[in-house]
Amino acid sequence: MITQSTRRPLSSWKAVFRRCRQAQQQQRITMPFRTMATETTPTQPEAASATPLPPAIALQKPRFHAIKTNNPSKPIRTAFAVYPRVPSARKTCPAALESYHAQQIRRLDRSGARTALFSKTNPDAAKPGDVLQVTTRKGGGEPFAGVCLSIRRAGVDTAILLRNHVSRVPVEMWFKVYSPNVVGVEVVWRRPRRARRARLTYMRKPKHDMGNVDHLVDAWRRTRNVFTTKGKGAGGKGVRGAKR
Amino acid sequence: MASRLPARWAAALTKSSSLSNPRVLITERHTLLPRIARRGVKYGWSTANPRDKPTRFNQPSAGLPAPTTGPAAALKRKAQSTPVRTGILATKKGVSAMYNSKGLRMPCTILQMDQVQVVAAKTRAKNGYWAVQVGCGQKEAGNVTAPLLGYFEAKGVAPKRHLAEFQVRGEDGLLPVGVQLQPDWFKVGQFVDARSDGRGFGFAGGMKRHGFAGQGASHGNSKNHRTIGTSGPSQGGGSRVHPGKKMPGRMGGQRVTIQNLRVLKVDNETGIVVVNGHVAGPMGCIVKLADAIKKTPPVDTFIAKARRLTLERDPDHEARLESAREAHLELKEMRKKGRIGEAVALAGALL
Repeated sequence: MITQSTRRPLSSWKAVFRRCRQAQQQQRITMPFRTMATETTPTQPEAASATPLPPAIALQKPRFHAIKTNNPSKPIRTAFAVYPRVPSARKTCPAALESYHAQQIRRLDRSGARTALFSKTNPDAAKPGDVLQVTTRKGGGEPFAGVCLSIRRAGVDTAILLRNHVSRVPVEMWFKVYSPNVVGVEVVWRRPRRARRARLTYMRKPKHDMGNVDHLVDAWRRTRNVFTTKGKGAGGKGVRGAKR
Repeated sequence: MASRLPARWAAALTKSSSLSNPRVLITERHTLLPRIARRGVKYGWSTANPRDKPTRFNQPSAGLPAPTTGPAAALKRKAQSTPVRTGILATKKGVSAMYNSKGLRMPCTILQMDQVQVVAAKTRAKNGYWAVQVGCGQKEAGNVTAPLLGYFEAKGVAPKRHLAEFQVRGEDGLLPVGVQLQPDWFKVGQFVDARSDGRGFGFAGGMKRHGFAGQGASHGNSKNHRTIGTSGPSQGGGSRVHPGKKMPGRMGGQRVTIQNLRVLKVDNETGIVVVNGHVAGPMGCIVKLADAIKKTPPVDTFIAKARRLTLERDPDHEARLESAREAHLELKEMRKKGRIGEAVALAGALL
């Protein structure tokens, strides 16, 4: 870049011309504001006062949306009044599904035990691979125990899949965690190392099948204090009493 | 042929007989007939426009039975399958479940109503049928075309993302323009029909689209495992493909109506309507919800109450609409004259 020396201002003609150009441009921009023509009062305010705004415009205060043009003599092609919006439910409640889940869970799980047992943040939560026992209201109160193959997390519709062998026949059952028919969920046995899959579908293969888990359930039952009543929930890991 | 009854207006004149114009002939049968000689021989004569004959188009004065075809007959025929009141627009937010008091699990769909407003009313006199135009959502004014901006300006309503029409049985089903509809428009326990565009599957083969069985994996099959096989008989059957033959093609993406879904929950605060069962379409699709046509609508007292609540929440809707209409006419005039810029400048100074 050719710069101009302060000692010899005319040493670089290129720089001189550039400064001239810039000055001219500046002048051209500011010129319209300095002319006599614009100093006189324009006729526009008179015209506007002749046709005042409709009273409704002042009443409801709509915004004006102007559609502009590139023509400097007529900058606005047309314009429309845009009226204010009504309150938006989408704005006040952007996550409608989540709020529905939260509201239903509040209703179905007052103590929060069910949520805690399958919460991702709870280190003591039940995880795939653990052996769980589910007590239901239906089916004569016979609890079903099995290894948890997967937890399908869907808010209030969260479900667990338990697998066991009943008289040598493999049985899998889905249980809805928040269902009022599920009276209690208890952790019978914890897998020593966490499973490295979220869904243990490989446990259906004979090589990985746990088989019958009744021996684990029996051992767990023996460790509990058999003289305590059911409702006390010895061990502190179950969600007995979670029923509303 | 039986003699025609005089028209109603003529009969009225005969009774009073106050007409004393000598240029008008008044007889017992034919009244108010000018003395001009344009007479037919077959059915008497008339100076009225031939298109105004009372027997033409089976008008009420003709004494004939009501026609079974035509717009009026069609509306009457469809009346029982047209809802009494308007429906609403909602967005599908997702699918979940709800448990009733007996612990029974009911799969449900969560729908959200966002800024649902009545935009226009269609009348029998003007449009040939009764309907309510409902809009929902919002749209930036810059994304709306000028004609639509003018339309919403005249209604005094902010531009809407979606517009839909709900036919109603009669004038009682119409609602004033500009009122907002809330989820409690529906009664918990009532039945609704949900109309929405189903999910599009793109170009699908015969097995997926029409449930064809496909072909064997072996027994000498070569590269034809999922093809549709033959498309018709050969000679003797015409050697042609019959119209309507099920073939591969675009699947889904069409309007699907799910009838008789029970409303499980309405909540004005979050704007949600929960219906039992599933509604077609992906999450975020627009669903038209209306009273089920194959079930009895909610009781009249509830319909009246919902309408009253809707109107009470917006007490000055009439004044607002009226002023918006007046403003629209004035602004329209200013636009025509090219002086809309002044209004914009003035409004900018005022606000």
